[in-house]
Amino acid sequence: MSENLPGIQETRELLKKKKIVIAGVGETEQGKIPDKSSFHFLSEASKLAIEDAGIKKDDVDGLVTAFSLVEHTFMHCTTFADYFGMNPRFFSSVAVGGATAVWMVAEAAMAIASGQSEVVLCVRGDNTLSGISSSGMLALIREMCHAEFEFPYGLTTPGGYALAAQRYLHDWGARREHLAAVAVTMRKHAADKENAMNKDPLSIEDVMGSRVIAEPLTKYDCSIISDGGAAFIVTTEDKAKELGITNNLAYLWGMGQGYSHQYLTTLENLDQIYNAVERSGQKAFNTAGIEPRDVDIAFLYDCFTITVLLELEGLGFVPKGEGGAFALEGRMEIGKDLPVNTHGGLLSQAHLGAMHHVVEATLQLRGDAGARQVEDPEVAVVHGNGGIVSAHSTVVLGNQPIN
Amino acid sequence: MSEQKKEYNKPLPEFRPETKPFWEAAREHRLVIPRSRETGEFFFYPRALSPGGDMSDDIEWVESEGRGKVWTFSIHHMGPSKAYKGEPPYVVALIEMEEGVKMMSNVVDVDPKDVSIGMDVQVCFDDVTDEVTLPKFKPAG
Repeated sequence: MSENLPGIQETRELLKKKKIVIAGVGETEQGKIPDKSSFHFLSEASKLAIEDAGIKKDDVDGLVTAFSLVEHTFMHCTTFADYFGMNPRFFSSVAVGGATAVWMVAEAAMAIASGQSEVVLCVRGDNTLSGISSSGMLALIREMCHAEFEFPYGLTTPGGYALAAQRYLHDWGARREHLAAVAVTMRKHAADKENAMNKDPLSIEDVMGSRVIAEPLTKYDCSIISDGGAAFIVTTEDKAKELGITNNLAYLWGMGQGYSHQYLTTLENLDQIYNAVERSGQKAFNTAGIEPRDVDIAFLYDCFTITVLLELEGLGFVPKGEGGAFALEGRMEIGKDLPVNTHGGLLSQAHLGAMHHVVEATLQLRGDAGARQVEDPEVAVVHGNGGIVSAHSTVVLGNQPIN
Repeated sequence: MSEQKKEYNKPLPEFRPETKPFWEAAREHRLVIPRSRETGEFFFYPRALSPGGDMSDDIEWVESEGRGKVWTFSIHHMGPSKAYKGEPPYVVALIEMEEGVKMMSNVVDVDPKDVSIGMDVQVCFDDVTDEVTLPKFKPAG
């Protein structure tokens, strides 16, 4: 890994000094829940995170939200501040697709480090499954792909990822079952996650034999759509003590972003994606002062099976082209080399961007993951990707302050 | 035209000022690709300024032979909306053009099962409405 990225040392010193932490988390029920609105889920998740931290609503002085696929708002963060009844000193809406939740941690940290806020509520919630119309789903792919030069050719969201997957299989001589293995591991992990939507056992054959959506991807290569909310509270170790928070804390060790493309049309090759993942990871890892081998648990964005392989490889956990074998050998399972998405991920738990990935990373580091608990994890990585593997964000979290 | 066109319900491109020359050429069954006069570099999709370091607005439209290779593809078994009912399976592909740029399109006039990465393809034109012609690709003869 290159050591001379700009700003690494400064950020490291700042994180050492400020000791930014995730001090509370909350997740609502997940599934098809037609009697709750988008803002209902946001409120409920916020309440759960505030209660988990054991603080009062008035202790929160910052707000980071994202966007809704159902309730179209011009200013999402302040719309929610009004609905929930709060008067934040700092507010921001982060909207970088699947890279959003991971970057919300960084957004809150930057606000705290620069004195804009002390206790930031980060929250997402949406009734995507119940509230989105078929025209809404259509609008989603229309916004991700180029309206003039891609959309008229009938590209679907799974189809966009299928284009990346097909090229991946070609470049590495990988096989369909390498992708399928990712879905199988996620399903295994979801079995022990209380609010996971899909817990029935799944085999490689089940994945490969399920309905073909966009070759080479089948139904089970694709994430689920769900209703639900999740939230987390970002503050400093000092402030957490002052507020009497008794949870074990998850400490922020590093963060980074990486950009590849917005439209697949401008993607030159797979290396362009790998480079963006690597750049995002490198910034976060170098700031944390760690190497991939130091990571105990990883939370990788799994909107489709292919993204997990690209991220495993791009972040340097396995050599390029070997992610599939790693998955097929079960090495992402709890108790194995690198447990990935111990909550079941977007493929089996629920889909709220990487919100649940951040929440689960925190629970694991706290030692509060129940039946899913990995033995004494010290370092977790969370990686999100937005667009069609186009925009990346990474954070490194530790169970102790960064040293 | 003697034949009445079927109603076309699938999404159509809405032209921007900087993309209009592309669609006007397509209507005439010509494929044109923008190039910065300053650097001589092709780029795609069309933009008002070259996306290169030159940021030039001196853009020329170069007529293409329309030859390329399939860089990747996906046989879609489901379309994005009801308007695609009866269409699947169809092939969405990224075509690497001889000019070096990529274009997304459909590979047509071929059994989807016979499409492969690296396949030589040639542009063809689909007049989907009176106003819009979509460049598509078929196996090179």
